[in-house]
Amino acid sequence: MGQHATGAAGGVEMTKVTKRFVTPTGAAMTAIKDIDLVVEPGEFCAIVGPTGCGKSTTLTLAAGLERPSAGSVKVSGKPVDGITKGASFVFQTDALMPWKPIEANVALGPIFRGVSKHDALGMARDWLKTVGLAGFEQHYPHQLSGGMRKRASLAAALINEPSILLMDEPFSALDVQTRAIMSNELLTLWEKTQPSVMFVTHDLEEAIALADKVVVITAGPGTVKAVFDVDLPRPRGAVQEIRFQPRFLELYQQIWEALREEVERAYSRTAVAANVAKVSA
Amino acid sequence: MTVHAHSPSPVDAMSLSDGATDEQSIAAAARARSKRRRIWVLVAQIGVAVVALGSWQLGTMLGWIDPFFFGSPSGIVVRLVDWFVNGTAYGSFWLQIWITLEEALFGFLFGVVSGVIMGVLLGEVPFLADVVGPYIKIVNALPRIVLGSIFVMWLGLGLPSKVLLAAVLVFFVVFFNAFQGVRSVDRNLVSNARILGASRLQVVQHVVFPSAMTWIIASLHVALGFAIIGAIVGEFLGAQNGLGLVIATAQNTFDANGVFGAMLVIGVLALGAEGLMSVVERRLLAWKPKSASESNVQGL
Repeated sequence: MGQHATGAAGGVEMTKVTKRFVTPTGAAMTAIKDIDLVVEPGEFCAIVGPTGCGKSTTLTLAAGLERPSAGSVKVSGKPVDGITKGASFVFQTDALMPWKPIEANVALGPIFRGVSKHDALGMARDWLKTVGLAGFEQHYPHQLSGGMRKRASLAAALINEPSILLMDEPFSALDVQTRAIMSNELLTLWEKTQPSVMFVTHDLEEAIALADKVVVITAGPGTVKAVFDVDLPRPRGAVQEIRFQPRFLELYQQIWEALREEVERAYSRTAVAANVAKVSA
Repeated sequence: MTVHAHSPSPVDAMSLSDGATDEQSIAAAARARSKRRRIWVLVAQIGVAVVALGSWQLGTMLGWIDPFFFGSPSGIVVRLVDWFVNGTAYGSFWLQIWITLEEALFGFLFGVVSGVIMGVLLGEVPFLADVVGPYIKIVNALPRIVLGSIFVMWLGLGLPSKVLLAAVLVFFVVFFNAFQGVRSVDRNLVSNARILGASRLQVVQHVVFPSAMTWIIASLHVALGFAIIGAIVGEFLGAQNGLGLVIATAQNTFDANGVFGAMLVIGVLALGAEGLMSVVERRLLAWKPKSASESNVQGL
């Protein structure tokens, strides 16, 4: 990683991307509208926005799980058709197979790419050591704590040496302390391997502490409202401490200003919907 | 933060060790309680059997119950000993047991394999499921036992007709569970596997099938019972050997003891198979966390 020979590997370029879904009731719903978004190779990009604004949809488009209804999505300079090569995904709920020990879970990536089972398991053990799970190779996911499962998920995602890492609220199910620890570890791992990251989160503090760039998405249908560069120096060190720096607070205020409107708009919409439901009931 | 911190004092150490013995004695008491309870349950269970069989036997001896229609425990034992020692009109009793087991086992195997294959296939290919679905529902709505008559006509009195009937009974149970299992696979797991580079076949092999396995295994208990039912009903409808034929013959000669005796043997077989199934299930589902109901010692 980090060599210039790979050129634009991991870079994401979304132009005028719109995604519509058909709901089960048959109505069409626009999840995101005319999103323009650029993630440079090796850049850590956080995406924040109110609930239901299509943040996750953006990720599934970049992963190639869905096709855009309009516009173009390019990853590493190539238009996305089919599953994006060189991408890994970390979900909110950890996507570990409950019937496999975590060693076998982490080895799945290489096995799917045609590495022999023996070598894949070796790689998996190395990665589990890297994320601090040495000694737990034979444990099943349900025998681990939430934080440990998250580490295993990270190992499973990073073992394929992705050029782009897509993360959908990866730490939101963790308690606050574990979440801070996991954020630090993510930064360490990212600094080591330097993939591009698209990190969707509700938590603005988390976004600023981790990212080079914070993208604010409007209330649904989502579109890019503003992009903020986070010029805090790297390596950032402990995520818990950086939030007391004056520059951090300044950025927080600026971005929150942009985000607050959208959050209020999204909230008032659900409040209205709730009232309508109450009246009609 | 340090205000309430205190160094360990002798008093602390003592109360700590007190706590430990407390825990030990509580654990020991709990163990003793649950052991006592197990013994009492066993005693009560044996008591129920003794009372039921005893009053049956007593009733026949005192003439309250007509042993011609209802048999008697002693009569059943005599009849079973006779069968095991002297055999039946169509070969040794062990042979009858073996034939029925063979039919049930083959029926079970064919039914499970075809049910799993069809369930996974239809679960994975929604188009196929929509096309074939109504027909499967129609066939499922038929009382499947009557199919046995047709199978005996087609395949004769030998093994194949019973195997087929047992397999059909097993198929539907397993099929619906496998289908449901495939449909309820966690979409995140599938997406994750696809992003990691899995082909469609690899997704089925590593995600869909193991995930559906929980459902399939749950159906195997019922399926095993159905396999035995299929074999015996098939023999009832026309056979040269087997426990079903033994019962049919006993019925035709108004031999109530014979019917009950054969029933008892079938019951023992079914229980044995059930026990074996539980062992297999525990092996296959070793990865599962103990559910609350399983770890609950009290109650059923």
